[in-house]
Amino acid sequence: MSNFLLAWIVLIPFISSFIIGVMYLYSIKVARVPNFVFSLFGLSAPLLSFLLGFSFFLQMIGNDEIFLYKAYRWLEIDGYDIDMGFMADKLSIFMVLFITFVGWLIHIYASGYMKDDKGYGKFFFYFNFFLASMLLLVLGHGPIIMFMGWEGVGFSSYLLISYYYEDGENVKAGNKAFIANRVGDFGFIVAMVTMFYYAGSNGFDFLNLKESLLSVPVPVLTFIGFSLFVGAIGKSAQIPLFVWLPDAMAGPTPVSALIHAATMVTAGVYMVARFHFLYDLIPHVGLFIAYVGAISALFAAIIATKQTDIKKILAYSTMSQLGYMFIAVGLGGYSVGIFHVFTHAFFKALLFMGAGAVIVALHHEQNIFKMGGMKKKTPLVYFTMLIATLAISGIPPFAGFFSKDEILLTAFSSGEYLLWIIGVFTAILTAYYMFRLLFVVFYGKNYKEDKKLHFLPKSMTTPLVILAIGSILAGFIGIPELLGGENLIGSWLGNWKNSSLHVTHSTEIILMVINIFAALLGIFIAYKKFYMYDMKEVPIFTGIVWNKFYIDEIYDTLIVHKIKQLSIFISYKIDVHFIDKIVMGLSRGFIRSGHYIAKMQNANTRFYAFTMLIGISVISTYLIMVLR
Amino acid sequence: MDFGILSVIIFLPMFVAFSLLLLPVSSKITRNIAFMTAIVILLLAGMVYYNFELTGYMQFREHHSWISSYGINYSLGIDGLSLIILMLIATLIPCAYLWLWDGRTKGYWVSMLLIQTGITGTLFSQDLILFYFFWEAMLLPVFMIIGMFGTGNRVFSTIKITVYTIMGSLFMLICILYLGVAFFYEFGSWSFALNDLIQITTLSRAEQIWLFAGFMLAFAIKIPLFPFHTWLLETYSNSPTGGVFLLSSIMAKLGVYGIVRFVMPLFPELYKEFAPYFVWIGIFGLLYFGIAALMQINIKKMFAYSSASHLGFIVTGIFSLNAYGMTGAAYLIIAHAMATGGLFLLIGKLEYDLGIKSILALGGIAKKAPLFTVFFAIMLLCIVGLPGTNGFVSEFLIILGTFGFSQSAGIVSALTVLVAASFMFWLFQRAILQDNGNDVSQMKDLNLREVLGMLPLIFLIIGMGVYPDWFFYKIEPTIQHYLIDILEIRT
Amino acid sequence: MIDSLLAYITLAMILFSIGFLGVVSRKNIFVIYMSIELMLNAINLIFVSLGRYYESMQPQVIAMIIIAIAAAEAAVFLSLIVVLYRRKKSLNSDIFTILSQKDSHE
Repeated sequence: MSNFLLAWIVLIPFISSFIIGVMYLYSIKVARVPNFVFSLFGLSAPLLSFLLGFSFFLQMIGNDEIFLYKAYRWLEIDGYDIDMGFMADKLSIFMVLFITFVGWLIHIYASGYMKDDKGYGKFFFYFNFFLASMLLLVLGHGPIIMFMGWEGVGFSSYLLISYYYEDGENVKAGNKAFIANRVGDFGFIVAMVTMFYYAGSNGFDFLNLKESLLSVPVPVLTFIGFSLFVGAIGKSAQIPLFVWLPDAMAGPTPVSALIHAATMVTAGVYMVARFHFLYDLIPHVGLFIAYVGAISALFAAIIATKQTDIKKILAYSTMSQLGYMFIAVGLGGYSVGIFHVFTHAFFKALLFMGAGAVIVALHHEQNIFKMGGMKKKTPLVYFTMLIATLAISGIPPFAGFFSKDEILLTAFSSGEYLLWIIGVFTAILTAYYMFRLLFVVFYGKNYKEDKKLHFLPKSMTTPLVILAIGSILAGFIGIPELLGGENLIGSWLGNWKNSSLHVTHSTEIILMVINIFAALLGIFIAYKKFYMYDMKEVPIFTGIVWNKFYIDEIYDTLIVHKIKQLSIFISYKIDVHFIDKIVMGLSRGFIRSGHYIAKMQNANTRFYAFTMLIGISVISTYLIMVLR
Repeated sequence: MDFGILSVIIFLPMFVAFSLLLLPVSSKITRNIAFMTAIVILLLAGMVYYNFELTGYMQFREHHSWISSYGINYSLGIDGLSLIILMLIATLIPCAYLWLWDGRTKGYWVSMLLIQTGITGTLFSQDLILFYFFWEAMLLPVFMIIGMFGTGNRVFSTIKITVYTIMGSLFMLICILYLGVAFFYEFGSWSFALNDLIQITTLSRAEQIWLFAGFMLAFAIKIPLFPFHTWLLETYSNSPTGGVFLLSSIMAKLGVYGIVRFVMPLFPELYKEFAPYFVWIGIFGLLYFGIAALMQINIKKMFAYSSASHLGFIVTGIFSLNAYGMTGAAYLIIAHAMATGGLFLLIGKLEYDLGIKSILALGGIAKKAPLFTVFFAIMLLCIVGLPGTNGFVSEFLIILGTFGFSQSAGIVSALTVLVAASFMFWLFQRAILQDNGNDVSQMKDLNLREVLGMLPLIFLIIGMGVYPDWFFYKIEPTIQHYLIDILEIRT
Repeated sequence: MIDSLLAYITLAMILFSIGFLGVVSRKNIFVIYMSIELMLNAINLIFVSLGRYYESMQPQVIAMIIIAIAAAEAAVFLSLIVVLYRRKKSLNSDIFTILSQKDSHE
């Protein structure tokens, strides 16, 4: 098959989003377009991209071929070309597969979730645009193309978060996401530009950079790696740029599922993995990344234990899981990190979609302490959510267990025991807060009279089942050798840095047991505290954890407020009272001196004559002096 | 092109304007004829573009003597940089006319036509006195259009902008005359042609610095660079839509153009020597104006600051002394002109429909006028520099160029991705999207004519962002010519 | 010869100064007019004495022309004074201030 189809993987969702967008405008301006037309385009695009991706996947099995397609010369300056090109290697095609697949399922789910929304067409326009940007990010053959997708993803996330734009708060959340992402983009651009000057002379794409970065001095590499990671922090919501992620839950739930679980937030992890050749040269930055990841994981998990909004709990859990991924990629276990990205996509999408189903069923109630007793009412949702919760908590044989185990194994075997301890402790917390959610929502005693539940259409429940199957099976592609399996994902992606697995089998078993035990401990605590939780009244939380350590407030006072003050100071003080005063003062000075001079013209003839005398005397004196 | 196509482009609008003034025609016919004129000029500009050869040298030269005893000639020509600005003007003006279609008087259209003459004349002049002539002539119709059709304290704004810019230009005039005299002393004949004046060798360093400063003052006021920007706010907020459109999207860029066209070849050594200062002034302006824009209540003042911020960035680009920065700056001139011009047209409509300039009194526009919102968003994204728009290409190149000039400057200039995004998105939230409970029922969505006027801009913004190479090849040789032949940097 | 020329010029300067002092210090327009005439004649005196000194006719001609013009000027001036007097019923030069910046502006 020819390589140009690579471009079509990206182009199909772009074109479909464009068509949907135009049709939507047509629909609101001229004549109504029925929803199924939007669904048709919206749902077929990810499927087609998936199939195309799958065909590339099949061609890649058993060989190391890298597909490269240069569409056109993007620009040429100074005899230096930058191409618009697409590259599919094993990493990117793997990402394409699950992005399009999970994305497709979420599209189906959304077609049910958004059924009654007026902006149905708009939603799919954004959704497909998002998917296209994400695919561009993954398939870009060089940093610049990747950055285009990177920004596109950020922008579509803005659009989707502020989807219900009439409420200013939602748009504010969107703005927050976009600006936080832009802080990251600043890092990305700086890194890109630095890379361009130090290593771009042989061509600015990943394959060439891999060679040319070898000759760049280490301090510069450190700078590049660090700046790039700033980009990753912004996109993947790690400390200190995570503040946007919880707020991003303002968007419709499918958005949270697609963007803030399965795809966009993992872009940071993907980026670090994509630049593995860079980070292999600078392990100290890698270690820094791992620590940022670990601290974020722990931090988010702590906050999640006290939240009451179902989507916010899931948001913090996402941040926490992303922290795990960064531990892995920071320590050089790129395939391990991507493996967790993969399993996480399934169970987190499932969690969000399940939560969305509960929310819809309860007529947009998001506080878990106002739910309760959902097990009886929505058994299918309960069942699938249970699977996902088990998966994220790390109970074998569900997907999360294998990937999380490998991450912790990587940490342990790299000798970073502190990271390992944080990881295990976070695992306890994860199990705890996830089961807290599950117990409260599905087992809690709800005394409120039963309102009629909102009907859940098939299009919403079917993807849940598929993802539940995925959450069970996804882990099996990466069964450790210890359990007689074959690490398919490791061999597919190639262990770029084979640092892991120089621990003995017995240690590995002990670690595994510790992990399972940690998860069970978390579940047990949650069971003790929240099983059959009595919800006579909604508990009111206070304290530093409930208030998310006041991070938002700190940012507001220290940064946002200060910048606003500076802005006012500049525009209303410096500009008006200083610069403009000088300018206007100059002109007033002219006017005033004009007045003074005009006063001499007092219509007193004799005064005129006198001034004439003075003038004549001065001039004649001067002439006498000079001309003598 | 042996019939003097450039002269036709310059003087056709003026000729039409004066004929319209003399003939007793209604404002509607005036508008139709003005629009036709703009279209004809677009076609002529298209011919120029098509026949333009890919070199960095002046083409389509025209030369007639004007005041021959002092060597002042009517001398025209264009190179790649003027070509793209010409195309920009020729494309933008008909689009703007479509937006100004209703409710403007005859005087408005005549002024618009006269401004066009001034702008194109400035763009093509190869003789410094001729340049000065057009440079000042451009100001008179602006003076009239703001004074007659503006809002608020319009007379004061007019006087402020006129006196301010003329003060700057007078310094430039003195410098031009000084150069002419220096040429006369050295070569024994009078000339004010750019190509002659660059041969002067007798100037001492102090003289050169003074002349450099004189030219830069005139251009810095026009751009405006920090700290010569205070005329901008009042002028922008009190101008009528057409005036502010031309001021922001075209005339401000002519300041940058003037630097590249005249200052650079006349004082190449000083240009290189002082480049670091101007790079930093540009970056400082970028941040200063960007932050100042954040808390503006008046939407036009906010865009005034935003414009100034981007122009600071353009200046950074042209002083970065490498191909990336300069090409990026040339590209940003186009990108910003389209985006900011489009935004001012949209804001003009908002003002026309609702009579509101304050952000606080807006909100809920998105629901009422979805097409308006979509177009507004695209222009905004171009300002913000989102990939896929030409704003990104140019910002990226300027950052690249600035980094090549000085690493610290490059890193600071990358902050542009943050600055514009913050105030633009905040504005978008408060003024367009969220429902503030204000009455905006008078707001009408775009009609077909307005959509037609905006579509070319949208296509160009996205086309230039997705496929920049197609637009680059006409400027590339010119930039190389500047760098290699004039500034003598690299091979 | 030289001494006598110096004496004539000194006399002319004295006359001129007297005339000038008259213009500056007196309020009555008539007196001002007479002082102006005095200054004019001081100049005439210089012309004539220089003409005599250089034995040239040209200064004499100029002096004659000045006298003729002064006569014509006197006619205009006197009629103007009459008009002014009709306006304000006064010959005080200080009250004719129509062209003053003070009146028109503030």
